Amino acid sequence: MPAKKSATPLQAQDKLTFLLSLVPYLVERDRVSVAEVAAHFGVKAEQIREAVRLIAVSGVPGETHTYQYEDLFDIAWDDFEENDQIVITNHVAIDDSPRFSAREAAALIAGLQYLSSLPENADRAAVASLMSKLSRGASGVPSQVAVEGNESDEALALIRESVAAKMQLEFDYLSSTGERERRRVDALLVESADADWYLRGWCHLREAVRTFRLDRISQLTITDQPIVHTPGDVALPETLFEGSIDDLVVTIEVSASAEALLADYIPDGAVRTELEGRVRTTVRVSHYHGLKRLIASMPGVATVVGPPEARQIVAEWASAGATRYHG
Amino acid sequence: MPTEISPAKVPVEERLFSLVLALLATENGLTKNEILSTVQGYRQSYDHSGDNANLERKFERDKDDIRELGVPLETVQAPGDPGNNQNLRYRIPRGAYELPLDVSFSAEETTLLNLAAMVWREGSLSAESRRALLKLRSLGVTPDEPVLGYAPRVRVRDPAFEPLSAALERRNWVRFSYLKPGETEARLRTVKPLALIQHQGRWHLFAHDEEGVSKTFLLRRISSGVVTTGKTFEPLEGNQSELALAELEEVWKNHVAIVDVEPGSDAHTRLSKRRGTAVAQSGELELHYSDVNIFADELAGFGPEALVVSPPELRAAVIARLERTAADHAS
Repeated sequence: MPAKKSATPLQAQDKLTFLLSLVPYLVERDRVSVAEVAAHFGVKAEQIREAVRLIAVSGVPGETHTYQYEDLFDIAWDDFEENDQIVITNHVAIDDSPRFSAREAAALIAGLQYLSSLPENADRAAVASLMSKLSRGASGVPSQVAVEGNESDEALALIRESVAAKMQLEFDYLSSTGERERRRVDALLVESADADWYLRGWCHLREAVRTFRLDRISQLTITDQPIVHTPGDVALPETLFEGSIDDLVVTIEVSASAEALLADYIPDGAVRTELEGRVRTTVRVSHYHGLKRLIASMPGVATVVGPPEARQIVAEWASAGATRYHG
Repeated sequence: MPTEISPAKVPVEERLFSLVLALLATENGLTKNEILSTVQGYRQSYDHSGDNANLERKFERDKDDIRELGVPLETVQAPGDPGNNQNLRYRIPRGAYELPLDVSFSAEETTLLNLAAMVWREGSLSAESRRALLKLRSLGVTPDEPVLGYAPRVRVRDPAFEPLSAALERRNWVRFSYLKPGETEARLRTVKPLALIQHQGRWHLFAHDEEGVSKTFLLRRISSGVVTTGKTFEPLEGNQSELALAELEEVWKNHVAIVDVEPGSDAHTRLSKRRGTAVAQSGELELHYSDVNIFADELAGFGPEALVVSPPELRAAVIARLERTAADHAS
């Protein structure tokens, strides 16, 4: 992207935000353990220690412009080194928490808009008051980012309930091969990509993590079986779809601008060549039935190069569709 | 002493932190020279007799980075000597830096904000949310329940989102090429970005063009990088994102398609669950859509499972797509 990017890596800005947030928290407390601070901020204990070491030697140039002792933060070093406890004994310049930036407030406000459409968060008055607090707590007018309210979705509400109750879900699932199966699942995460919603969970039938499209789920109920896997103990892959050794590998050609749309299907380390705005690469699919739907929904944008069987299945699918109009 | 031959390496975050502390502590502000010669991280590289152009550039970038975090770094004119750049003073006024006293969050609100931050799966919204959460935790409120892994998460995969959201905040005119649905050649557009809105799962930019006419662009169809021009514009009256959402909703409502779907098929299961879908008397589905070309792509994916009855332009668009795919894959 030719967009302007600041030269300082984002990491330094994040670290600065962390320092500016940590100081008032510590100043507010007489004595607190590293472990407690780490748990509160959701970071590793070593990260807290590192930040405290930096804070302890920081300060202001002061009258003399030479960072004299009284112009610096100080901590009870023995408590810190020996007991892993933080006691701030002198602080300078900072007392209170910083304001949100306009964009930070906007990101949270947009997230709240998303949540407020869900059944349990229907307390609109509370959400509205929270949004106005965020605006007042921001250093500028939050930028205009808005999300359309979704109508409350019954399936989403049930999934949420099952997570809270720690019970397994059961539903009919229509796979992209057209088969209907009853599945029992421990819900782990609900995710959306564009207009589509996905449930990611531990599937007891397949004994593995699986991704289900919400719009292919029907007859959803909460069972009286407790869940076996919780979000905390299953690592979810970044991509939506789980690869398997039985996957079919297909060579495709896609216009460069649309390549990102297929990111979930392109395996790590796939060979990729680019020529005149078209990218040739490979995708992994569990069967050709899913592939034909995917490719037919990107007409002129993505083409299957091989194997011949895959090309033929896509061609037949599209022709069968076209034939219905000419019949 | 600051006259070392090879200056000690001070980490970037330490320099930025020291700059914020120094500027918060000063009542009347510090001049650029005072900052460069005394503040930790600059003073190590400061040359008392020579040229500090590199250091000055570093300071300029640091100012931008700090301001981006919502820190109100101000420039004050020297009282007796306005217009003299050398005497400009910099400071961070405490009142504008600190969270106002009347802004506090309950445990319940903290829980809700934690969830709101988790909505954004990646990209700039996620980075901004993460930083906002750090500031929220600074207040020391413990959420009233541990945050479950359950929060619906939203992927923002459009590369144009980040530069547009930055331009939106700075009120910069932007330029990009846009492939309008139904056209084959992208055209260069120059617009004032006013709001970013998600409707039917897709991100849109609401903007005014050079004639002041309002336009809505699909982020997915921005086919070049977004160039931020130096030109800025005055803020507009009214809630632009609300206006834009209402406009998109109106378009969506007015577009109605009748589609015949194979009973029990994937097309039937999925299309009947879309928002606003009704079953017409004939048993066919009555669906709303925003854009004929985008909806035609989606319907073409269903192959023989879905047959468009009306409107004619959607029907024609789907036929053309199916024929194109069939031809592209002919042996």
